[in-house]
Amino acid sequence: MTLLSVQNLTKTFQTPSGPVHAVRDVSFEVERGECLAVVGESGSGKTTLANMILGILGATSGEIRFDGATLPAKRGPVHRRAIQFVQQNPLSALNPKRNIGASVRLGLDTYAIGPRADRWLKVEEALEEVGLPREMRQRAPSSLSGGQRQRVGIARALACEPELVVLDEPTSALDVLVQARVLRLLNDLRARKKLTYVFITHDLAVVRNVADRVAVFKAGQLVELGRTEQIFSAPEHPYTRSLIGAVPVVDDAELELRNKLAEGT
Amino acid sequence: MTHLLDIRDLHLAFKGLSGLTEVLHGIDLSIAAGERVALVGESGSGKSVTARIVLGLLQEMRNARVTGRVAFDGADVMTMAQKDRAALRGTEMSMIFQDPTSSLNPTFTIGNQFAEVMRRRDPKLDQAACDARATEMLTEVSIPDPGRVLANYPFQLSGGMNQRVMIAMALVNNPKLLLADEPGTALDVSVQAQTLRLMHDLVEKHHTAVLFISHNLGVVREFADRVYVIYRGRIVETGPTDAIFHSPGHAYTRALMDAVPRITGAGLPAVPEVSDDFLAPMVRHDGGAS
Ligand SMILES: Nc1ncnc2c1ncn2[C@@H]1O[C@H](COP(=O)(O)OP(=O)(O)OP(=O)(O)O)[C@@H](O)[C@H]1O
Ligand SMILES: Nc1ncnc2c1ncn2[C@@H]1O[C@H](COP(=O)(O)OP(=O)(O)OP(=O)(O)O)[C@@H](O)[C@H]1O
Ligand SMILES: [Mg+2]
Ligand SMILES: [Mg+2]
Repeated sequence: MTLLSVQNLTKTFQTPSGPVHAVRDVSFEVERGECLAVVGESGSGKTTLANMILGILGATSGEIRFDGATLPAKRGPVHRRAIQFVQQNPLSALNPKRNIGASVRLGLDTYAIGPRADRWLKVEEALEEVGLPREMRQRAPSSLSGGQRQRVGIARALACEPELVVLDEPTSALDVLVQARVLRLLNDLRARKKLTYVFITHDLAVVRNVADRVAVFKAGQLVELGRTEQIFSAPEHPYTRSLIGAVPVVDDAELELRNKLAEGT
Repeated sequence: MTHLLDIRDLHLAFKGLSGLTEVLHGIDLSIAAGERVALVGESGSGKSVTARIVLGLLQEMRNARVTGRVAFDGADVMTMAQKDRAALRGTEMSMIFQDPTSSLNPTFTIGNQFAEVMRRRDPKLDQAACDARATEMLTEVSIPDPGRVLANYPFQLSGGMNQRVMIAMALVNNPKLLLADEPGTALDVSVQAQTLRLMHDLVEKHHTAVLFISHNLGVVREFADRVYVIYRGRIVETGPTDAIFHSPGHAYTRALMDAVPRITGAGLPAVPEVSDDFLAPMVRHDGGAS
């Protein structure tokens, strides 16, 4: 069943130096329980697309449907809770005046999730699940490392018990061990709670191991969309091939695969 | 061998609600002129704070306590007057911060920010000269439309564009030492490869030393001459890049290498339990420049 449907979505920014065509006529669908990876050129409109799905930015034209109904430009609390966002820049996503615990708790209070008396416990559990100590609740965002902040962003989104999570580079500031732990958590939750992810990332090795399908963006357009195995065994668009050809690798098996795919044979 | 940067027995503690918490427990790290050194390891283990101490930023923070020796280009960064430290920043040493909002000011255009950085080196430069040089640098980091970008504010640029702007700005004054904290995370792999190649060429040409902080071990393997691995505020392994990748000796380094996701798609790596072996003594591979 389709949970998210994006139809002919376009976003043009007007700037003093002329219009910027950030997203051009993009259409795709995401099934409930699916993980769709969005990859592509830097500046190709991925974050802009995310902002439109979240209702942070209005579309210039086109339509976004969620669970069968058109999403209004101004979102009510039901949709705000159901669609959560893990933002690309974790520092600007956290209110500097709130400690970590209060930031994570805010969603629980706003959407009245669980009995009030249990909410601090839920906050601490959410932090622990992403590998942060419970005591971190007390700390200010500015005193956290980059990867610690990033995990707070994930904990905060997941605590709201969403249906769809748009993750914009959610593990770019994590070492690979912590990253593996967070990705496993995301996978478990997806299986257990039928969560749906739009997973924006530049890390193709992560994509290979977590996504069901992959959408490739270039200059505001969707240039290739396919099942993960297909994208990594027979990429069709030259841009997809050039992306895979540039992946930094650590072992010889990867190097061989990368070179084979890049040549398009 | 003389070092451009020499850190000895560096300790750092923060005063918090529950008293002092030590986060660096005696770090030794050195970089020769022109050398590219990577610092990799656990999230929260102390990489960014180490770089900020080299820049002299944490010494000025009230709730931080820093001890140990940090020598840069023969001068002692720990005892140096605050204004002398400030004079080094952006000229002799520059930093690409992990978080773009600490590098870029949201209220000034990119063009104005470039000019400010260039005038730290040469106060007499006029705006036209600054713009010309900035355009050149932005072109080098493959920003497609430098004119537009110079007129933009940071919020009008994508994450990766801001990152390339920061890289260009950090190199515009030809520093002796570049501290690059996760410089490629917001870049697609093609632009990342291109940007790192450029960074590599620029630092080679100008004999700039680099402390390269990254979680991307594939990138580290391609970029660095030598690697330090840090775990919970201690260096656990150090040596030439090849040695670290081909014969990692410390349990933490091995766990880290095993956890790198592969494009060959073996599934998500298993996460080992945190083991006491991760706290074993440091493994040192000989060789390399320092
Ligand atoms: N508020 C804005 N005003 C003007 N232009 C903007 C604005 N926000 C984004 N843009 C432009 O839209 C384009 C797409 O930006 P976006 O942030 O969506 O890219 P992205 O794919 O997320 O890139 P990255 O991988 O680097 O994060 C860029 O050219 C950017 O400069
Ligand atoms: N101002 C502060 N007050 C208290 N603790 C702090 C402060 N700044 C940093 N820390 C702590 O010091 C430790 C080291 O932080 P640092 O930012 O150097 O980590 P890092 O290795 O760069 O991690 P990441 O890879 O996640 O960016 C972290 O546990 C962090 O929470
Ligand atoms: Mg983005
Ligand atoms: Mg850091």
